[in-house]
Amino acid sequence: MKLMTHIVAGYPSLKESTDIAKTMATTGTSFIEIQFPFSDPIADGKTILEANTKALAKGITTKKCFALTKDLAQNTDTPILIMTYFNIAFKYGLEEFCRKAQKSGVYGLIIPDIPIDEEPFENYIKLCKKYNLHPIQVISPITPPERLRKIAKIATGFIYCVSRYGTTGEKNTLNPDLRSYLAKVRKHIKIPLALGFGISTPAQAKEAARNADIIVIGSKILNLYDETPANTKLKAIGNFIQKVQCACLPS
Amino acid sequence: MKKYILNKSGHFGEYGGRYVPELLIPVMEELEQAFYKLKKDPKFTQELKALYKNYSGRPTPLYFCENLTKKLGGAKIYLKNEGLNHTGAHKINHCLGQALIAKHLKKKRVIAETGAGQHGLATATVCAKLGLDCTIYMGAKDYERQKPNVFFMERLGAKVVPVQTGGKILRDAINAALRDLIAHPTDTYYLLGTACGPHPYPAMNVYFQSIVGKEVRTQLKSQESRKPDYLVACVGGGSNAMGLFHEFLDDKEVNLVAVEAGGKGIKETDRACQHAARFQTGSKGVVEGFKSIFLQTKDGQIKETHSISAGLDYSGVSPQLAYLKDLNRIQTSYAKDNEVLEAHTLLAKEEGIFAALESCHAMAETIKLAKKLPKNKIIVFNCSGRGDKDLFILAKKYNFSL
Repeated sequence: MKLMTHIVAGYPSLKESTDIAKTMATTGTSFIEIQFPFSDPIADGKTILEANTKALAKGITTKKCFALTKDLAQNTDTPILIMTYFNIAFKYGLEEFCRKAQKSGVYGLIIPDIPIDEEPFENYIKLCKKYNLHPIQVISPITPPERLRKIAKIATGFIYCVSRYGTTGEKNTLNPDLRSYLAKVRKHIKIPLALGFGISTPAQAKEAARNADIIVIGSKILNLYDETPANTKLKAIGNFIQKVQCACLPS
Repeated sequence: MKKYILNKSGHFGEYGGRYVPELLIPVMEELEQAFYKLKKDPKFTQELKALYKNYSGRPTPLYFCENLTKKLGGAKIYLKNEGLNHTGAHKINHCLGQALIAKHLKKKRVIAETGAGQHGLATATVCAKLGLDCTIYMGAKDYERQKPNVFFMERLGAKVVPVQTGGKILRDAINAALRDLIAHPTDTYYLLGTACGPHPYPAMNVYFQSIVGKEVRTQLKSQESRKPDYLVACVGGGSNAMGLFHEFLDDKEVNLVAVEAGGKGIKETDRACQHAARFQTGSKGVVEGFKSIFLQTKDGQIKETHSISAGLDYSGVSPQLAYLKDLNRIQTSYAKDNEVLEAHTLLAKEEGIFAALESCHAMAETIKLAKKLPKNKIIVFNCSGRGDKDLFILAKKYNFSL
């Protein structure tokens, strides 16, 4: 089992988000997702939405996000992914964004609002490939089989499977149909499957790891950071990541 | 016409499209199929026409503003009185159409966003009539400034949720509704209230609104035996403007004028605009599921907007209008808050009509145009809604204690 964790660049501050990411890298996270904040993040729930808003209020810019990304990529061996919304890349200039991501040492991009249907107009996947970036595709429990087959043809790196209906954020229970959902996906998709949205406890991670290759934890870590007293924040995150990994070890 | 409308891939030129998370793709495909099937179904169109006539009171009058025309001394001014629709605005046109689609899709629950509350009110109304569970998202700022509509929506059985994120206005309500749909993609119908959003919403809402322009053509033909020279409409998302314009897109001699909210003037900081005039200072972007012109920073962050009218207080605009602007088929203008108030007073005093503050933007532009044009020209402006809902805003402006 591999673990992907998530930060919002510039939240709670540029320095703190960098420190969180470095903690993740040193405690055994396999992939780090750096979210470039956007004013209208429609796939995100309360925790990450508020983190986006606050990071923007503190003056985060795309330029600063790239600087943070490059710093991390140069100082850890952990593959770094940029997660953002299409307007951020579009406004930067999509090709320029991809070129800059490659130069910053990025493994792939996760952009939830650029479905494959818009490829003829945007050339997103084409540009990712040109700059050696994995255009990570996101699928959901209601993605029909014919669409999974289409996605399988262009997907590289891994596939991000949204675990349930809804936006990002902690939930008390996991989708009970995870097994059949991911089994259906695996019929069509042969690259590793990441599972995210709503995974927030070591027990949930363990359950998720039975079915997926990569577990994604996002909101939980931001909440943990916010809830922990100042001097033990990073330690709490490191401990949590290790607990998740232990829980997922084959018994 | 082909030149001006949706192409096969769901785009208007380079605008429009369906830039939504994967979870919403099957939802949009289902809606697209239902819409294109039903619009060819005579039973559906008959049912809709009967509701337009017997429930909403269509056709709405095309009224010659004789006093106003005399006072301004220029072009003849006609007012398309969409405010006389049931629920007081043009919004019911697409609400009836979409609610019938929701019924056909066997969705039990309807959600919608609202700015001024007119779309929310129309949605709550058709949901009450058709027996659908209804939740309305409304920016917390709009919730406060359009209280009468909140009250009426609740009386109709809708749940009204004030949205506390962002600038607490229309855009935030749209985001909240999209998040709700992402959480309930199978049992919920999102009754989006303007000519924006992912495909098929922009084309679908324009289809349901195009009845406005069709009636204008027939009515003016019988009153003046000719076509109008100018059509003027306010633009928030673009539903009433496209409703009026669509019928006349191929009539090149008919000038189409879209009026945006000039707010306190075309001024802005790095984060916020004093206006909502997308065609003045906006740029291309992809937000809320569609590509169009948005008020945004150079980094692509959407800016807050300002308008005296909640219904125009929006940072994006109809992708079809963005396309028509590029093709030079529409002219764009804006009216500032103070001009809007003057237009409101003038229309009330001269013609005895209280227009919604949104519609008064079109009225303000009409005043400017009429003065410049000779007496043999005809302007039709869309009075998209009536002004009852603005009671509290206006009372405050005129220091009247309610």
